Amino acid sequence: MKRNVLTVVIGTVLIVIFALLLFVFQVRRSEVAVVTTFGKPVRNLTEPGAYFKWPWPIQKVYKFDQRTQNFEDKFSENLTADPLTLLTSVYVGWRISDAKAFFPKFAGGNEAAAQRMLESILRSAKSAVIGKHPLSEFVNANPEDLKFDAIENEIKQKVQARLSTNDCGISIEFLGIKKLGLPESVAQAVFTRMTSERQVLISKLQYTGEAEAQEIRSAADRQAAETVANADADATRIRGEGEAEAAKTLPVFQQNPELANFLLRISALQQSLNQRSTLIFDERTPPFDLFQHLPTNSPSQQP
Amino acid sequence: MSDEHDHHDHGLSAPVTPEDSGSQALAEALRSSFAIVKIVMLLMVIAFFSSGFFQVGPQEKAVILRFGRPVGDGQKALLTSGLHWSFPYPIDEVVKIPITEQQIVLSTVGWYFTTPEQELSGEEMPAGPSLNPAVDGYAITADRNIIHTRATLYYHIDDPIRFVFDFESASNTVQNALDNALLYTAARFNVDDILTRDVAGFQDAVQQRVTDLTEQEQLGIVIDQCEVQSIPPRQLQTVFAQVTDARENRNKLLNDAHSYENQVLLQSGAEASTITNEAESARARYVDSLTAEAKRFSDLLPKYESNPSLFAQLTLVQTMGQVLTNVQDKIFLPQRADGKPRELRLMLNREPPQPKAGAQTP
Repeated sequence: MKRNVLTVVIGTVLIVIFALLLFVFQVRRSEVAVVTTFGKPVRNLTEPGAYFKWPWPIQKVYKFDQRTQNFEDKFSENLTADPLTLLTSVYVGWRISDAKAFFPKFAGGNEAAAQRMLESILRSAKSAVIGKHPLSEFVNANPEDLKFDAIENEIKQKVQARLSTNDCGISIEFLGIKKLGLPESVAQAVFTRMTSERQVLISKLQYTGEAEAQEIRSAADRQAAETVANADADATRIRGEGEAEAAKTLPVFQQNPELANFLLRISALQQSLNQRSTLIFDERTPPFDLFQHLPTNSPSQQP
Repeated sequence: MSDEHDHHDHGLSAPVTPEDSGSQALAEALRSSFAIVKIVMLLMVIAFFSSGFFQVGPQEKAVILRFGRPVGDGQKALLTSGLHWSFPYPIDEVVKIPITEQQIVLSTVGWYFTTPEQELSGEEMPAGPSLNPAVDGYAITADRNIIHTRATLYYHIDDPIRFVFDFESASNTVQNALDNALLYTAARFNVDDILTRDVAGFQDAVQQRVTDLTEQEQLGIVIDQCEVQSIPPRQLQTVFAQVTDARENRNKLLNDAHSYENQVLLQSGAEASTITNEAESARARYVDSLTAEAKRFSDLLPKYESNPSLFAQLTLVQTMGQVLTNVQDKIFLPQRADGKPRELRLMLNREPPQPKAGAQTP
């Protein structure tokens, strides 16, 4: 009997496993799935996990990649509002958001067919949007006039609107311009213009360089002259102040002008005989007046 | 196999009385083969569970999907290198994510047609008269110039779960964002800013745009660095080089002028301070000497007033004494007895003819 119980348990487990394989399926994190009953989509599964279904041939599961996929359209020409011919290429991040809608739309969920549809929608949306904007809204140094983001957004919204009206089960995650170009002949015209702009710039640089250098030099000269003149004026003022200060000592000397005069002469004498000098004097000059009464043997007295 | 198992079980319990040796041998054989089957099954069970072990290499991370759902949230879901175990297939599934420390993406959407080999060997195709938009990429600047610009973006994956499970090809998406950033930023900058005046600013703006885009798109990456290289079209290289020369010339002229300016200003400043300093010291000397004189005067005044002539004589004699020590040549010329003036001839040639001597002739 024990053996039988074990056998039954093992058998049941195996049957359960077999049944699970038939009745249960998994949806991965990166997938969305749709369950069809006799070919008719009935359930939409967007969250990962394990789910129950009736076994084939009643229900069938179709799984799709729900990750964001890149799509780039062909580098194609459109007219801007100017009108100028502009070549653009746009990248789109799209994903299958609703497998139930996506599945019947594209012959059993053919992604290539979806991309073909996306491409045609994108082409018309692009030409409509680019036709509304002049080139100056694609390229502009002024952030307020630059409509780059707005243009991308407009295309994105147009594409998204078309997709939702068609009920494709596709959502556009992001859209951006990835390449810009001009027709070959236009590029050549741009080169010609750029060359002449460069030449204007060259002559301007030469001319303004010399003029500015000259200006700097003359300004420096002027400033230097001004500085020296100011210093001279300061010096005069300082000397004047000195004299004014010195004038305060005058009352002292006025007490006895005679003495003042005498002292000035004494000091003048001292100063004038400071250097190497030769002095010739006679006996009347003090202190040599002492010699006056000495006997001399000068020839004048000899005879 | 399970059916077989059941079947054998019943087969063994039924024949209780083995009569002929043939069936006994069969039973023996069945018994031993059943033992082998048991061992095989045991081994298979062991193999089944040990198949759950897997290895994660140093350059990769792994995520376990349990019934399709990642086990753990965010960074916790990531298994680092080493040995790990998961339930075998129908329950768990291991997804390995190659992850190098830093990923690199190049954008050449704004560059002329070339290959890395050609570039290295310097054998690039010569530039044609114009740019063929189908082959040569370029960017249009805000002042509608054409330039070539390319970028290298370094980034690392911050959220591998988003990076792997939400994007079919996340690195392509990064690439597209970088292409877009280059075009968009070039459309905002003038040609001279991109090429010379504000190269760093342009690069920062490109990086900012890529960062914004990848954040908006929730790519789960962190931008480390973005290097941008920009050149004028090869067709216009000479004329652009001439502009550079002209600009350098201009800078040289201006630099020369500025150094002249500095020199002149320094000189004039020095001159000015010399002038004022001289004036200051002259003033100080003048005032000091007068003050000293005044003090001496005040000191002498009482002495003078007590006997003016004596004082005068004394002072004079004293001064003469001092003065005469300084005088180099002293010539004493006594009066002639007859009172007639003497004639004296001097040869003064020691120094340039500057008769400093005060000749006191009688």
